[in-house]
Amino acid sequence: MSGNSDLKKWFSTGTPWVWTSAGAVSLSLLMVFGVLALIALRGLGYFWPADLAQIEYQLDAESKIVKVGEFHEHEMVPSIQLREAGLYLPSDDDLVKRYLFKVGNRDFYGQDFRWIIEPSIGETSYPEHLMVLERHEWGNFFGHLLQVKESGKVVAEGDAARAELDRRMVRAMDLHDQIKTIEKGAIGSVNYRMEKLRLAKRSLELDEVTDPAPYGRLEEAKQELDAEYQVLMGQLNKLYEKSKRDSITVSDSEGNQKEISLHMIVRVYYPNSMGVFDKIGHYIAKVIEFVSADPREANTEGGIFPAIFGTVMMVMIMTVFVTPLGVVAAVYLREYAKQGPLTQVIRISVNNLAGVPSIVYGVFGLGFFVYFLGGNIDQLFFREALPAPTFGTPGILWSSLTLALLTLPVVIVATEEGLSRIPRSVREGSLALGATKAETLWRIVIPMASPALMTGLILAVARAAGEVAPLMLVGVVKLAPSLPLDGEAPFLHLDRKFMHLGFHVYDVGFQSPNVEAARPLVYATALLLVIVIVALNLAAIAIRNHLREKYRALES
Amino acid sequence: MSDSQVKTHGVNIEALGRNRQQKSSGDEECSLEVKNLKLFYGEKQALNGIDMHISKKRVTAFIGPSGCGKSTLLRCFNRMNDLVDGARVEGAILLEGENIYDKSVSAVELRRRIGMVFQKPNPFPKSIYENVAYGLRLQGIKDRRILDESVEKSLKGSALWDEVKDRLHDSALGLSGGQQQRLVIARAIAVEPEVLLLDEPASALDPISTLKIEELIYELKNDYTIVIVTHNMQQAARVSDYTAFMYMGDMIEFADTDTLFTNPRQKQTEDYITGRYG
Repeated sequence: MSGNSDLKKWFSTGTPWVWTSAGAVSLSLLMVFGVLALIALRGLGYFWPADLAQIEYQLDAESKIVKVGEFHEHEMVPSIQLREAGLYLPSDDDLVKRYLFKVGNRDFYGQDFRWIIEPSIGETSYPEHLMVLERHEWGNFFGHLLQVKESGKVVAEGDAARAELDRRMVRAMDLHDQIKTIEKGAIGSVNYRMEKLRLAKRSLELDEVTDPAPYGRLEEAKQELDAEYQVLMGQLNKLYEKSKRDSITVSDSEGNQKEISLHMIVRVYYPNSMGVFDKIGHYIAKVIEFVSADPREANTEGGIFPAIFGTVMMVMIMTVFVTPLGVVAAVYLREYAKQGPLTQVIRISVNNLAGVPSIVYGVFGLGFFVYFLGGNIDQLFFREALPAPTFGTPGILWSSLTLALLTLPVVIVATEEGLSRIPRSVREGSLALGATKAETLWRIVIPMASPALMTGLILAVARAAGEVAPLMLVGVVKLAPSLPLDGEAPFLHLDRKFMHLGFHVYDVGFQSPNVEAARPLVYATALLLVIVIVALNLAAIAIRNHLREKYRALES
Repeated sequence: MSDSQVKTHGVNIEALGRNRQQKSSGDEECSLEVKNLKLFYGEKQALNGIDMHISKKRVTAFIGPSGCGKSTLLRCFNRMNDLVDGARVEGAILLEGENIYDKSVSAVELRRRIGMVFQKPNPFPKSIYENVAYGLRLQGIKDRRILDESVEKSLKGSALWDEVKDRLHDSALGLSGGQQQRLVIARAIAVEPEVLLLDEPASALDPISTLKIEELIYELKNDYTIVIVTHNMQQAARVSDYTAFMYMGDMIEFADTDTLFTNPRQKQTEDYITGRYG
């Protein structure tokens, strides 16, 4: 009896509730940190230079080969399964450990990864001279450096080759940068201006201008650009010529030789001879490349800068659309509309809009924004470019507008909440000084409601930055040739398609021809997406806290 | 409490004397005239036909129990009741002979001529300077010199200048309650209204701040017509020239303060001021 009453007493103290709620909180925290830790671990590990192992591998009872590569993940598999697949297995265990072994050299073997089983692995060593070549094509090369050549003549061999290669890589990188500058910068700009001229000419034709003078001027400008283009092409050809001068001869572990021109190489390193500090340096360089460079090789190598840029830019443009729209709608609903059943219905509808699946917004955006609005804009303003669409095709503007629509309910609800909390006395104070209702709203009420508005925007940004499904319909692409913001007037190109981190994760993870190679990149990209969203949110939270501080004393 | 007790208990005899003196000198010009004013909140009638006139450059106090309609009446003077859903006004209030409820009169214009200070200090979340300049900026005044002068004059007028002159651009929300209320008064007088409505201006303040506000009302009387609603009968007796006693939406008695407190004509008034109201 007394035990029972003790238990009752314990319950009435509220202690169990404290424990239950604390448990729920810690479980949530654990899950959040678990997700983050997993993504971070897998994603960040990708940049660390793995040691190159040289292994002897038993193909069958007699033949053995030597393989060079990186050990990646491993798993246990039943040996029956392996035997049934016709694999040679020198072991009687029921379960066999097998490794995913990155052998690289896609040009020789066709694929980067290979499963190898532990019992067949013979002697394993880590020779210091093993080399990794990161290349612009064909992925990584693992192997031995044999010779360095200049215009086909051998200039260094054996141990001297390494130093010679390092020296010549500096020149090759420099040339590569110059080529890139001309190709992406100058020639891109010329092409852009050429296209402008073509459109201007077409527009004259459409307007049925018969006066030859404007045509002449366009022709002149075109010839100037042509001349500029020829000069640039000349420079470019010379650079290409130069960059093809040096090459190296390499061989893989099986003795296959190959000559690789230096201009195909991104980076050379020898992981087995690197110290910790070298590795850290390499790691930092890789991370910087990841966040600042363009992707290579179907997005499985290189960086993801265009995706970061696209994500941030799309969210910013969306904010520009959703803020005024949401605020004005909330102000009308809360301040001007007569409160009654109709406003109640509108409010419920707005709340429900937040629950509509995002792909539905994508379909709507495609039908309304892209085809209807964009199509009509093209008809009215960009006739000269037809039949190629300008705005009548998915682009960053339509993506931003679609997401603005998607996040509008959040902003409206939060702003309304904020408006309703502004004390009546402050409004009356303003009105009593001869302010109209509109003046009171703009000068006093909305500034005071701005922290709440910012809360709405934070939620909107968090949702918009992570949204992928609708974007696939209204503007995101796997690889965008140019950023939506660049040096060509009008600088902001709202009609362009763009890359997005969320879509990049999907693309690399599921659409990639080289899934195993891309998997760590999926984690790294996901981590970056989280970081970008957190950074956007922190910025918004900082602004909100600043505003809150400003209006703090009135909350009481 | 008897009548004599009221006088000695808290009422500043000297002040009353001064009131009387000022009243006898100078003509009694009428600033606001209320004619058969009725106010309805939906079906409910809150004011049952009020008639009175408010003298220029005098302090008129409204007293009465809670819910008697004194604040409602005050808010009729600057048409603040327009903002309440379902409020309807009948009758007229004449400001300098013009009916403020006339269709041709804009409530916004009217509120520039009749300023108001509320029960709870309600400074805007802006700097002290911007609070005072708010009304002027609304009128489109941008000239820094004019604004500076006006802010200084108004803050001096509300006896706040010496306390805040070094921190004009700090947030007004950092001031104490009493300072905030004087700031609000400065804000109201910055637009140079003709009439100042004070809705229980000292009820949320401590005794020292209350004293300051009362002293300020003495000063302001030289330039403005003041109408004050108060719960505190001693305050009414101290600061006002005329007092109106209201009960259940009716104006029971309206007389000069001295008479009303010492020699009320109505039984209800006497009961209320002597504390026998039940």
